[in-house]
Amino acid sequence: MSEYDDVWLIVPVYNEAQVICDVVQKARLTFPNIVCVDDGSRDASVSEIRKSGAHLVRHPVNLGQGASLQTGIEYARTQPGARFFVTFDADGQHQVEDVVRMIDRLREEPIDILVGTRFHGDTSHIPWIKRVVLKTVVALSPRTRRMKLTDAHNGLRAFNKTVAEGLDITINGMGHASEIMAIIDHKGWRVAEEKVTIIYTEYSMAKGQSLINGVNILFDSALRSSRR
Amino acid sequence: MIIQILLIGAVLVLMVFFLRNHGTTRTAAGVKIGFVLFILFGVLAVLWPDALTVVADLVGVGRGTDLLLYGLVVAFAFAMVNTYLRFKELELRHARLARAIAVQSAEPPALDHEEKNVPSAS
Repeated sequence: MSEYDDVWLIVPVYNEAQVICDVVQKARLTFPNIVCVDDGSRDASVSEIRKSGAHLVRHPVNLGQGASLQTGIEYARTQPGARFFVTFDADGQHQVEDVVRMIDRLREEPIDILVGTRFHGDTSHIPWIKRVVLKTVVALSPRTRRMKLTDAHNGLRAFNKTVAEGLDITINGMGHASEIMAIIDHKGWRVAEEKVTIIYTEYSMAKGQSLINGVNILFDSALRSSRR
Repeated sequence: MIIQILLIGAVLVLMVFFLRNHGTTRTAAGVKIGFVLFILFGVLAVLWPDALTVVADLVGVGRGTDLLLYGLVVAFAFAMVNTYLRFKELELRHARLARAIAVQSAEPPALDHEEKNVPSAS
């Protein structure tokens, strides 16, 4: 058996039939436990997931990425032997080697959750518009600055069981990244950053968060924090 | 005279409708109290139209109709926020319901390729 038997990869999937099988099979070489949450895809994602050897959890209707993550976490945390959890994108922009490093750090250091950051060293591979938007989001959020995080909207996160049990993402759509930060802050979990590489392919760029979605994120976050 | 009956009648019908759709939380109760006050205000304004202008003068608004318009804008904005929050809450319940179904009908991976040719016991 693999040394990463206690790790669960959580992959939210929405219309990713082109790539999902490859992405999962590549990750399974290292991580045997992967759960794909199909968020009501209209393409062949479901049959591709079945082929890939991942666990399949299907939303009966489309709910959004935040809801998919929460579903994946709730499924994975009840699996016997699960100790570490990783949120991993379906479009192949995250690297398995980065996840390995994150898990090894979680095992050794007193950290509850590791968040990936793409802002280190040479950042010229990141499309400039993304750089500007992501930097602005961080600059506008006092919480993220206080927590010394540079890339709050990175989809690659690794965390332990405490976090998996405590997370309750209520924002179904794209605002969930800021909500996760708010929950970490509220619960006082020990958080750190890990340098990761994001590979921007034409495919992942076309699927990525659009700028206009930033408006939705800001609006959702504003109303949420006013109620907390 | 007819318009007074019509307006008061409409307000009463609205009030009955509102009370029958009662919620459970304290917030919902607050909304209802606000609504009752709004109804009282409406009834008084219909019975004594001049009083509205007096009140408007008191708070520094030119005409009673202007005061009514302002009140309406505020009430509308309030109702919109209330609706938005309500929708959010429903969305969350809906997500939790869908999640429960999804986790219940989860499919573990089929047997690995090397085991695939082994005939199953059933």
